[in-house]
Amino acid sequence: MKLAQPDAKMLQEVGDLAEVRGRSLWADARARFFRNKAALAGLAVLIGVCLFAAFGGLIAQYERDFVDFSLMGANAYQGSPSIATGHYFGVDIDGRDLYARTVQGTRISLLVGIVGALVAVVVGTLYGATAGYIGGRVDNIMMRTVDVLMSIPFMFVLILMLVIFGRSILMLFIGIGLISWLDMARIARGQTLTLKNKEFVEAAVATGVTPLTIILRHVVPNLLGIVIVYATLLVPQMIIFESFISYLGLGVQEPNTSLGALMSLGTKQMNNGTLWMLFYPLFFFLITLFAFFFVGDGLRDALDPKDR
Amino acid sequence: MALLDVSDLTVTFRTNDGPVNAVNGLDFTLAEKESLAIVGESGSGKSQTAFAIMGLLARNGAATGRVAFDGTDLLSLSPRQLNTVRSNQIGMIFQDPMTSLNPYIRVSDQMAEVLQLHKGLSKTDAITRAVQMLDAVRIPDARARVSMYPHEFSGGMRQRIMIAMALLCRPRLLIADEPTTALDVTVQAQIMTLLGEIREDFDTAVILITHDLGIVADFCDRTLVLYGGQTMEEGPTAPIFADPSHPYTAGLLRAVPRLDREAEVLRTISGEPPDMSNLPAGCPFSPRCEIARDHCPTVKPGLAPMTDSRHRACHATPAEMHEEMRDG
Amino acid sequence: MLAYIVRRLAVAIPTILILVVISFVLMYAAPGGPFNSERPVPPEVMANLEAKYGLDQPMWRQMVTYVWDVVTRFDFGPSFQYTDRTVNDVIAQGFPVTLTYGMWSAVVAMVVGVSLGVAAAVRQNSVLDYMAVGITIGAQALPNFVMAPILVLIFTLWLGWLPGGGWNGGQWEYVIMPVIALSTSYMASIARITRSSMLEVLNSNFIRTARAKGLPMRRVILRHALKPALLPVLSYLGPAMVGMITGSVVVDIIFSTGGIGQFFVNSAFNRDYAVIMGITLLVGVLTISFNLIVDILYAWIDPKIRY
Repeated sequence: MKLAQPDAKMLQEVGDLAEVRGRSLWADARARFFRNKAALAGLAVLIGVCLFAAFGGLIAQYERDFVDFSLMGANAYQGSPSIATGHYFGVDIDGRDLYARTVQGTRISLLVGIVGALVAVVVGTLYGATAGYIGGRVDNIMMRTVDVLMSIPFMFVLILMLVIFGRSILMLFIGIGLISWLDMARIARGQTLTLKNKEFVEAAVATGVTPLTIILRHVVPNLLGIVIVYATLLVPQMIIFESFISYLGLGVQEPNTSLGALMSLGTKQMNNGTLWMLFYPLFFFLITLFAFFFVGDGLRDALDPKDR
Repeated sequence: MALLDVSDLTVTFRTNDGPVNAVNGLDFTLAEKESLAIVGESGSGKSQTAFAIMGLLARNGAATGRVAFDGTDLLSLSPRQLNTVRSNQIGMIFQDPMTSLNPYIRVSDQMAEVLQLHKGLSKTDAITRAVQMLDAVRIPDARARVSMYPHEFSGGMRQRIMIAMALLCRPRLLIADEPTTALDVTVQAQIMTLLGEIREDFDTAVILITHDLGIVADFCDRTLVLYGGQTMEEGPTAPIFADPSHPYTAGLLRAVPRLDREAEVLRTISGEPPDMSNLPAGCPFSPRCEIARDHCPTVKPGLAPMTDSRHRACHATPAEMHEEMRDG
Repeated sequence: MLAYIVRRLAVAIPTILILVVISFVLMYAAPGGPFNSERPVPPEVMANLEAKYGLDQPMWRQMVTYVWDVVTRFDFGPSFQYTDRTVNDVIAQGFPVTLTYGMWSAVVAMVVGVSLGVAAAVRQNSVLDYMAVGITIGAQALPNFVMAPILVLIFTLWLGWLPGGGWNGGQWEYVIMPVIALSTSYMASIARITRSSMLEVLNSNFIRTARAKGLPMRRVILRHALKPALLPVLSYLGPAMVGMITGSVVVDIIFSTGGIGQFFVNSAFNRDYAVIMGITLLVGVLTISFNLIVDILYAWIDPKIRY
C-alpha cells in the first residue's frame, strides 16, 4: 500500500501531463476554428437549422398530414403564406400545411445526411485502416476491390435496388452510405500507412498488443481529424443524393417527406404561381448545405495547420 | 556609383497576428564586380532581403525604402519594367534546387525561354546557348541531357542548371540565396568552387546569402551580419573573421569548428532565434547577448563606423566586448 | 505505357463481370417479373413468354447466356417492354443524345470552371475572387432538378427564347438548357478545385524561379502554373463524368431529351431487365473508360509518372 502510493501519484501526474498535451492540440485547432468567421457563421446557421428541425413542429398550427380539403387545388389563391391563417409557409397543392412539412423535411434530410455520412465514414475508416495496417497482399486485394467498386455506377444500382426491394428509408440509408465509403477508405488507408511507422504504433506492436486493438486504439483515433473533416463535407453530398433520389420518387414516401421531395413537388407546381412551395424548402436546403460547406472548410483549416 | 545601393529597406508581412517586420531599415551598397555575404541565422531576414530586391516577396509582404540598381529604384518599378531587370540584369539562385525547377517542363525549354524573352533569340539559338552554358557549369553530356526533365538530374546537377539559367543573360549581379544548404557536403564544395570561377569568368557582382560562415571566408570580399532584420556589423570579410566587433558575430564564429585551433570547446549562442513579431525596442540581439547592458533592450544602437570600411551596431565598445566575452 | 493500358484493361474485365453479376442477382431477386405488372396473363401465355425470353432457365444459365451474347455478338437481347425492339435499338436511340449534351456539358464545365478558378486564384481576396467563390458554392448546392425548371421558367415561359424541351436532332436551341442544367454544379466543383490547387502551385518554389526569370505574369500562369494546377482537376474528371451520366436522368426527364437516362428510369419502373442491364453495363464501361483516359492523360502531363 505504501509502495502503491507514490506510484498512483506518479500516474496521476503523467495523466495530467497527457491531458494538458491533448487539450493543447485540440485547443489550438479550436482557436483557429473560432477565428474563422465564415465557419462560425456556418455553425450558427447549422445550430439554427437543427433547432428548427427538432422544435419547429411545436409552433406549427397544423399536423403535417392534415389535409385541408377547402384549400386542395386552391392553394394558389387561398393558401399563400400567412401568419393569420397559421400556414406560415402557405399550403401545398393538396392543402397540407407547408410549414409543418418543411420542419419534417428538414429533419429527414438532416437525418439521411448525417446517418449516410456516418455509415460511409465508419465503414470507410475501418476498411481503409485495416487495409493500410495489415499491408502486403491483403492491402493489395482490398484496395483493388475498392478500385473495382469505384467503377460501378452505383447511382444506377441504387435506383435498381429501390425499385426492386421497395422504397424504404432504411434502404436509402444503406444504399447512400455504401456508395460513399470508397473515398473515405482510400484516405484512411493513406493516413494509416504513414501512421504505421510512427513510434507509438511500433511500441504497441513491441508490447504485444493485438492488431485489432492497435487499429481501434492507436490508428483510428489519430485518423479522427481527417475523418471529422471528411464527414462534415460528406453530409451535404448525402443530402444532395437523397434529394435526387426523392426527385425520382424513390426516396422518402408520403406522408413523410424530405427537403428533396418538397422541392421536387415545388418545381412541378411552379407554373401555378405557388412559388412558396419551392422557395421555403429550397431556402432550408441551401442554408443547410452552405452551413456544412463552411463548417467543413473551417474544420479542415483548423485541423490541418500545414494547409493554412 | 555603386551597382546596388540599398537604403532603409524594410520588409513587412501582414499576418493574422498583425504586421511582422522581417527586415528593419537595412542599408548596404555593392560595387560592380564586388561580392558581399549576408550572414545570419534562419529568420534573420536575409532571404527576404533578396526577395525584396527581386520583387519576389510573398503576396502578404511589402517592401519600403529604396533599392537602387544602377541608379534605378527597383521598388518603384512597374511589374513590366521589373521583368526587364529580372534575370537580364540580376540573376538569382535559390536555396532548394529540388523544387526550384519546374518539374513539368524540359530543362531546354525552361532555359530557352529566358533568352527568347530577354534577348529575342529563336528557340534553336536559345537552346544552343543553353547547352553552352550547361557546359560552362560542367554538366556532362549537356547536349544530350538538355532535353531531359528536372527529376532526371541529381540535386547538385539541378543547382548547376539553376546557376546556368541565372547566368544566361550575363547579369551584372547574381544573388545566391543559400545555394548549398540543401546539398551534400561534397557537392557543396563543388558548387562553391563553381560559383567562384563563374564570378571570375563573368565579372559578375555576387550577393551570397548564407548561414554557413565556413563558405563565406574564402568567397566574399565583404560580409554583412544580419540579426532580427538589422545589420549587426558590416565590413571586409577578413578583418571581421579575424577580429569580430559585435557579440553576435563573435558568438557565431565561436560556433564554427576550426581545424587550425586545437580541441577548443565549440560554444553555441544560447537562446532562441528572435521572434520577429515581438522584437525588443533596442538591440534585437540583447535577449541573447552575454554582455548586454541594462539599456540594450530599450535603446537601439545605431550602425556606426568603426574604421573606414567597417560599421558596427553595439553599445559596448570593441575593447569592452573583448574584455567581457573572454570572461564569459 | 502500352503494357499499363493492357494491364488496366485486364482489371476492367472482372469489374464488368462483377457489375453483371450484381445487377443480375438484384433483378433475379426482385419479386414480380416484367410480365405480371398490368393485367393478368393466362398461365400458358406467361410460360410462352418466359420461354421466349429464357426466364424459365435457372439463374446461372440465364446469366451465362446473357454474357455470352454480349461478348460474342455485342447483343444485349430484346427489350421486355418495347416488344418490337432490342436493347441495342434503345441504346442506339438514346445514347447519341446523352453523349452529345454530355460532351458539351463536360467541355463547358471544364472551360468555364478552369477559367473561373484560375482568375479567382490569381486575384486572391479580390472582389472577383469572392464573387467566384460565392457563385461556385451556390452552384454546388443547387440541385439540377431545381435549376432546370427555373431555367425553363425564365428562358421559355418568360422570355420565350428557348424551347422548353425536346431534342429535335440536337439543334443548338435544344441543347443549351440541358447543358447548363447538367454542367453548372460540375463547373462549380472544377472552379473550386482549380482555385485551391492554383493557389498552392503559385506558392511553390518553381513559380518563384519563373518570376525571377522576368517572365510576364501571364506566361508564368499559363506556361508554368496551369499544368500542375490542372492535375487535381483531371483526377476529378472521372467521377464528374459518371456524375453527369447520372444527372442525365434528371435532364432527360425535365427536358424530354430522350437520352438513356429516360430509358433507364422507365425500364426500372417497368422492370425491363434487359434494358436496365444494357444501360448499367454501358455506363460501367464508360466509367472504366473515363478513368483509364484520365490516368493516361495524367501520365502524359506528369513526366515523373512512368508505367
